Amino acid sequence: MRALRQSLVRATAEAAEGVRIAVSALVGARLRSFLTTLGIVIGVMTVIAIVAIIQGLNRSFEGQMANLGAHTLYVSKWKWFTGSDDWWEMRNRKNMGTRELRAIEEEALVATAVAPMAGQRALVTRADREVENVQVIGTSPRYLDTNGGTIASGRFLSDPDVELSRNAVVLGADVAQRLFEGVPPDGTLGRRILVRGVPFTVVGTMSRRGRMLGMDMDVNVLVPYTTLLRDLGSRRSMTIAVATEPGKMEALEDELTGILRRVRRVPPEKKDDFSLNRQDQVLRMYEQLTGALYGVAIGVGLITLVVGGIGIMNIMLVSVTERTREIGVRRALGARRRTILFQFLVESSVVAALGGAVGTALGLGVAQLVALTTPLAAAVTPSAVLLGLGFSAAVGLLFGSWPAWRAARLDPVEALRYE
Amino acid sequence: MADPLILAQDLSRHYVVGGELVRALDGVSFAIGRGEFVAIVGQSGSGKSTLMNLIGCLDTPTAGSYRLNGADVQGLADDALADLRNREIGFVFQTFQLLPRASALANVELPLVYRGLPRRERRARAEGALAAVGLANRMHHKPNELSGGQRQRVAIARALVGEPSILLADEPTGNLDTSTGEEIIRLFDELNRRGHTIILVTHEPRLAARCPRAIRLSDGQVVGDGPGAEIAALGSARTARA
Repeated sequence: MRALRQSLVRATAEAAEGVRIAVSALVGARLRSFLTTLGIVIGVMTVIAIVAIIQGLNRSFEGQMANLGAHTLYVSKWKWFTGSDDWWEMRNRKNMGTRELRAIEEEALVATAVAPMAGQRALVTRADREVENVQVIGTSPRYLDTNGGTIASGRFLSDPDVELSRNAVVLGADVAQRLFEGVPPDGTLGRRILVRGVPFTVVGTMSRRGRMLGMDMDVNVLVPYTTLLRDLGSRRSMTIAVATEPGKMEALEDELTGILRRVRRVPPEKKDDFSLNRQDQVLRMYEQLTGALYGVAIGVGLITLVVGGIGIMNIMLVSVTERTREIGVRRALGARRRTILFQFLVESSVVAALGGAVGTALGLGVAQLVALTTPLAAAVTPSAVLLGLGFSAAVGLLFGSWPAWRAARLDPVEALRYE
Repeated sequence: MADPLILAQDLSRHYVVGGELVRALDGVSFAIGRGEFVAIVGQSGSGKSTLMNLIGCLDTPTAGSYRLNGADVQGLADDALADLRNREIGFVFQTFQLLPRASALANVELPLVYRGLPRRERRARAEGALAAVGLANRMHHKPNELSGGQRQRVAIARALVGEPSILLADEPTGNLDTSTGEEIIRLFDELNRRGHTIILVTHEPRLAARCPRAIRLSDGQVVGDGPGAEIAALGSARTARA
C-alpha cells in the first residue's frame, strides 16, 4: 500500500516535472518550438476545419430530411441514384400508370396513404407575370400524407377535383409569391393562372419547404393527376408514393412487389421491372459522399500529422543531444531509465498537444470564416476538438518515442562525460 | 566490527577501446568507514574517475567486488542501481551541473522527486538543505543569478538533501577561484564534523593534503593510502623526481 502510494506520488511528481521541463524548453526556444509544431498546427487545423464543415452540412441535411415523408416508398420504373449501367434497362421498362395506381389503392393493406406523382416542367403565367421551369405535379389529396407539407392558405386538392378532373391548382410558395407579389395570401384564391397555356383556378397555396439536396421544393404547382393526364397530355411514367406506419416498410415492400408483378405481368423467372425507392437512399448516398470527404480530410490530416511528427522527432533528437549531460546528472541523482523515457515522452506530447490546441483554434476559426462567407454551415462539436487534441498528442507520443528511448538508453557515465 | 561503509576488493574495470584492452582500474582494494573524509588523488588517466563512477554506482566493475553499506553492488539491475544512487550517494560535480531553467529550490528537490516524496516534504527538506549550506536567502534564484561558489553550494545542498551515506565530490573546486574553493572545502570540513562521509576526487595534492586520509591512484592501481598530508607529499615528491 505504502509502496503503491509512493510510486503514485513519484509518477505524479515526475509527470509534473516533465510538463514543467517541456514548458520551460518551449519558452526557452520559442522560434524553434513554433517551427516544430507548425506541421501539427496545419494538420490539425485542416482536419478540424473540414470536420466542422462536414458536421455543419450534416446538421442542416438532417433538418431537411425531417421535412420529407420518412415512411414512404416511391414506386417508379426508375431506380433512384443508380449508376448509368442500368439506364437502358430502366428506360425500356413499361411506364407506371393509373392501372398500377388503382391496384395499389385497392389492394395494398399495409399502406396508410397512396398518392400518384406525375410530373413535368412547364411555364406558369398570370397576366404579365410568369415563372419558368415550374415542376407541375399531378397528384391526389393523399399527397400531403405521403410527401409531407402543409397548406398556407385555401385548401389542398380534393377527391372531387380528381374524380372530375377539375382544373384546380395549389401553388408552391415560390410560385405563389412570384405570381401574386403584394397580394395577401387569401387574395390568390379563386384567381386564374395558365399552366402551359391551360387555365387553372387557384384553390390553395403551400407553406414554404426550403431546399432539399439543392432542389427547390417551392417552385412547383400541384394539380389533380387526372387533369394533368387529360389537359397537359403527359405520357411520362408516374411515380406512386405509398406511405405506411413506422416499422412496416418491409411488409409494404413485399406487398407492393406482389401487386406490381401481377398487374405488370412479370413472369416468375424475370426480375422486377419496377423499383421501390426510399428517401433513406438519399441519406445513404449522402453518407457515402460525406464519408468520402471524411476520408480525404483524414488522409490529408494524417499526412500533415506525419510530417509534423517527423518535425517533432527531429527536434526531440536535437533536444536529447543537447541535454545529454543533463540526462547524465538526472541519472546520477537517481532517475531510472523509464523516468527519463517518461520525461521526454511528456515533453514531445506537450509540444504536440500545444500545436494541436493552436491548430484546433485556427481550424474552428477557418470553419467559422467559411460559414460566414459561404452558404456552407459549420458546426463545432466537442468530439472534433477532442479528436484534434488527442490525435496530436498521440503523434507526439509516437514520434517522441524514438528520441525518448535514445535518451533513456544513454549510459550515465558517458552522458556525464559528454561535451 | 560492522561492515565498513565501502569495501572494495580487487576492483577492476577494463574497457575495450579500438580493439585494445584498457585497464582503467586494475585490482584496487580499500575500505572506507562511516564518517571518514577521504581524498582520492591521482593525475588524469590514473583511474580516479573510473573509481569514482564505480563508487557512485554509475558503473559496475569488470572484476572484483564492491560492497556499499553492506549491499553487494555487483549484478544489480539498472533500476536498482538508480535507486541505490538516489539513496546512498550525493554527487557534487566540478561544473556544478545544475538545471539551468530551474530555481535553486527546484534543483535541490530533484533527488527527492526521484525518490517519490510528496511535494510538501520535498519542499521542506530542500529548504533545510539550502539553509545548511548558507543559501536560505537565495532559494528562488536561478543558477545564472548565482555566483560560482553559490552554485556549488546549491549542488552540495542537492547532494545532501536525500541524506545519503556518502557525499561524492568530483573536483568540486576545479571551476572556482582559490578563495571560493577554500570556502567550499571548509564547508566539506564542517559537514564531515557533523558526521557526513565525504569522498573527494581530485588531482590536486594541495587539496588531498588537507584531508585526514587520501588514497593515491596511479595507472589504475593504489600506490598509497594513508594520512592526507603524507600521501600528498608522496605525490609531489614523485612529481618532483619526474
